[in-house]
Order: sequence, then C-alpha cells, then structure tokens
Amino acid sequence: MLQVHNASVFFPARDGRVVHALDRASLDIDANSIVVALGASGCGKSTLLNAIAGFLPLSDGSITLDGRPVERPGADRGVVFQKDTLLPWKSVAENVALGLKFAGVPARRRRERAEELLGLVGLDGFADSTPHELSGGMRQRVGIARALATDPKILLMDEPFGALDSLTREQMQELLIDVWARTGKRIFFITHSIEEALFLGTTVVVMSPRPGRIVARFELDFVRQFAAERDVRAILSSPRFAELYDEIRDIVHRPHHAGPHHEGRPQ
Amino acid sequence: MTDLTRRDESVIAPPATPKLVRLHPFGLDGARTAPISLATALVLVGAWFLVAEFRLVPPLFLPGPQEVLAQFLAIAEEGYAGATLWEHVSASLFRIFTAAFVAASLGIPLGLAMGLNRWAKGVFDTPIEFYWPLPPLAYLPLMIIWLGIGEVSKIVLLTLAMFAPVCLSAQAGVRALPIERVNAALSLGATRWQIFREIVLPSALPEILTGLRIGIGVGWSTLVAAELIAATRGIGFMIMSASHFLATDVVFVGIGVIAVWAFAFSYGMRLLEAWLVPWKGKL
Repeated sequence: MLQVHNASVFFPARDGRVVHALDRASLDIDANSIVVALGASGCGKSTLLNAIAGFLPLSDGSITLDGRPVERPGADRGVVFQKDTLLPWKSVAENVALGLKFAGVPARRRRERAEELLGLVGLDGFADSTPHELSGGMRQRVGIARALATDPKILLMDEPFGALDSLTREQMQELLIDVWARTGKRIFFITHSIEEALFLGTTVVVMSPRPGRIVARFELDFVRQFAAERDVRAILSSPRFAELYDEIRDIVHRPHHAGPHHEGRPQ
Repeated sequence: MTDLTRRDESVIAPPATPKLVRLHPFGLDGARTAPISLATALVLVGAWFLVAEFRLVPPLFLPGPQEVLAQFLAIAEEGYAGATLWEHVSASLFRIFTAAFVAASLGIPLGLAMGLNRWAKGVFDTPIEFYWPLPPLAYLPLMIIWLGIGEVSKIVLLTLAMFAPVCLSAQAGVRALPIERVNAALSLGATRWQIFREIVLPSALPEILTGLRIGIGVGWSTLVAAELIAATRGIGFMIMSASHFLATDVVFVGIGVIAVWAFAFSYGMRLLEAWLVPWKGKL
C-alpha cells in the first residue's frame, strides 16, 4: 500500500515569497485501485505526484510504499508524463525496455518483454519504429508500456491524456482500464477533467488551490463496471454519473479562501 | 433542362487535368535553389574569364581561370616552393585533423562536465570566456615564444581556436536537456552513470556536432595564420610564399584548394549528422 500522510510542500517563489503548494494531504492507494486527483491548475496535484515519484522532497509529512519511506525516484514507481519523454534516438522497443536495460536485463529478454508490453498496449508491429513516426496517442501508449516494463508497484500518471484530442483520449482511457484490469496495478492518476476522473477512479480526490489541499473524496465503481460490462454509454448516461459530475463541479468551482501565501503553479 | 443537367455534370466530374493548388508560401519554404546557385557560379566564372581575357585588370592582379587551372596542374605535378601540392595539402590536413582531434577529446568532456558540475563550470568558465574572443593572430607570438617554431606551436594554435566552440556547444547541449527526460530515467531506476551515458550524452550530441562543424570552420580560417610560423609545407604557407613573389595565380590555386577541402569537410559533417542524429529537429 502507498500511504501519503500529512504531506506539505512549500516552494520558494521567484520573488522570494513562499508558495504553499501542498497542505497536509493524506491519501492511501490500495492494491487494485485507481486513485484520481482532480483539480484546477495550481491545486498541488502535480506537486503531490512529484513527491510520490520522489522527484520532490516533502517539507513536512511522509510518504511510504509498503512501509518503506519514499525518498528518491525508483523503478518501483513507474511514471507516465504529460509530455511524452521517449528518447528519439531509440526505437520503440528500446524505449519500452529502457528500465530493463538500466536493471541489467540481457538484450534478448528485454526485447521479448518489450514486445509483450507493446502487445498489451495495442502496438504490435511497432517495435522497430522510431518515436517520431508515431502519433501522440501511440507515443503515450509507449510511455505506459515503458512505465510497466520494470513491473512497478504503482503507476503514477501526470495528466497523461491531457494533450490528446478527445477521440484518442477516450480510446486511451479504455486502454488504461484494460491494462489495469489485466495487470492489477494500482494507479495514481492526475487530471483536470471531471468526466475522466469519474470514469477512471475507484477513488477520486478533489483538490483546491491556495494552498493545494484535498477538499473532497469519492469512492466510485464506474471503472469496475466498465471493466466488467464494457458499456461506456450506460455509465456516462447513468443518473448517478450526472449527479456526481454536478456535485464535483460545484466543489471545483466553489470559491475557496485565499491562503496566507501567494499563489504559484507547481511543476 | 438539358443545359442545366450538362452544367451539373461539369461541376461534379473533375477536369482531366485538375489545377493543383497549395497554400501561398512565405519565405523560401523548401523551394529549389540549386539551379540558381549553379547559374550564379557560371556567371561569376564567366565574368572572371571576360575581365581577364580583355585585360580590364592586369594579369598580375587577376589571372584568368584558364591560367589558374594551368598553374594548378603544374603545381600538382611539379610542386611549388619545395613540395608537391599533395604534400602541402597533407601537411595542412594533418595539422587540422590533429588539432580537431585534440580539441574534441578535451572540449567535449570538459564542456559536458561544465554543464553538469558547479566546480567544473566555476573553474573553467573564466579562462575560456577570457581567451576565446581573442583572435588567434593576437596570441600567435606567444605560441612561438613558448613552444618554438615546430609543429607543436601550429597545432596548439589551431587547437585553441577549435576548442572553445566545441566546449561551449557541449555545455549548451547539456543545458538544453529537458528535466523530464532525466526524471523519466530516474523513475526507471537509472544510476548517475546510466543517466550520463543513455540520456545526457545522446541529448547533447546534436549540439556537439554543430560545435565541431563551427570548430572546423574556425580551424580553416586559422590555418593560414598557423602556417605563418616558419612553415615549409602547408597550403597556407604556399599562399603566403606565393604572395611574396606576387604569384597571384598560385594564390588563387591555394584559395581554391582550401575552399574545396573546407566544403568537403562541411559536407562530410552534414552526412555524419544525418547518420548520428537522424532525429534532430523531429522531436
């Protein structure tokens, strides 16, 4: 289990003031769950993800993965970035197997595993392409396969579909659910789309800015329903979905008290 | 009625040869320039020929193309100033190659280190920023006083001239590295050395190659200066020696030879770039 306990982050802003980016956030991510952090930009959701990934130390509080404190980045937490970070000089298969190369896995085994994972994300036959031959959606699939290659305990996804067009985005959401259902990975997912959050999350935490904090939590099962029945329309048109959508919208748009600190957009 | 029908058909069926259109271009937009360049070259050579042929300028100042060509063949066969043309060229090439090799093997690692390490940057920034805007001719006398008049002083002069662009471009290559790429590698379990080898070095490679290209260009322009130092061989020496005897045609031959080699180098570097960094500018 991944546990975030009272995590706070303060940044120095450029003008010398202090940005309170994350305020006492607590979160548990259990096996087999997708926790979605939802909020407008500046609400601290990326800060939270960066802290879990180990890119950013906490000012206060703790993060533990299966009881061990998280201090630096590691292969036990796979990250999928908003902007794909594939290496343009490597083939798709080499990109997928990058983590295995770092771990010293022999070349043949790496190749087998890469092809297996490319199959999982629906990219059979693209192993020898180069990243710039792929579309944005396909590159994000490679990014997901790459993050899965080292068999991490959790997948951290920072608005991974934010830059995709809406049609590709829907396909990618369904793909992610398939991957999740098949691998049973726990996932921490960031988005600013309420619909995406409702559709993907087993838990949705709503965050608000200034300072970034968790203001609401919802336990949902639309994603399990989709994994079982594969009927998007039934989910999107269900009254419960619409109800929750409105409820979350109200929370997101509710004016929040400005904190004592200056607003900042964490990266 | 029939008229109308016929008119309709003409709207639906495309003409046999449709008029192809595209967006109005702005600037060059990939238009072919090679024929224009070739025509320009022909006009220039033609003008040169005419000026020389009708003695608009005395041959001492401007020998005609055919005289230069004849001189080129003569030098290629008999040599000039005590060495054959190939001996002059190979002496120069040896100096440039050696200097480029030394400059690259010092400049690339040092530049990368300066991009990554506070101490490397702090220590080496001042001397490099201080010396590199200096024209090589300005510190040429020092090279002679310190290193004598042999090959060493020439190669050191060329190396110094080439080192700065290579080193600065390697630094720029590291600085242009997106932090997400490093973070991605870290979250895949990379060690520091793996990050350097798999991420930093290839990311900086396009910039490094650009620096090498600039460096070699600087090398050619410093070559003549380097060969002022008591050389007995070298294409720069040949030009200087010919100028003392007002052998303008030999000067022209030397300039032409340098131009051809410099062009070949630059073309070779472009091929090397296409081979090593085919992704440049694509992602």
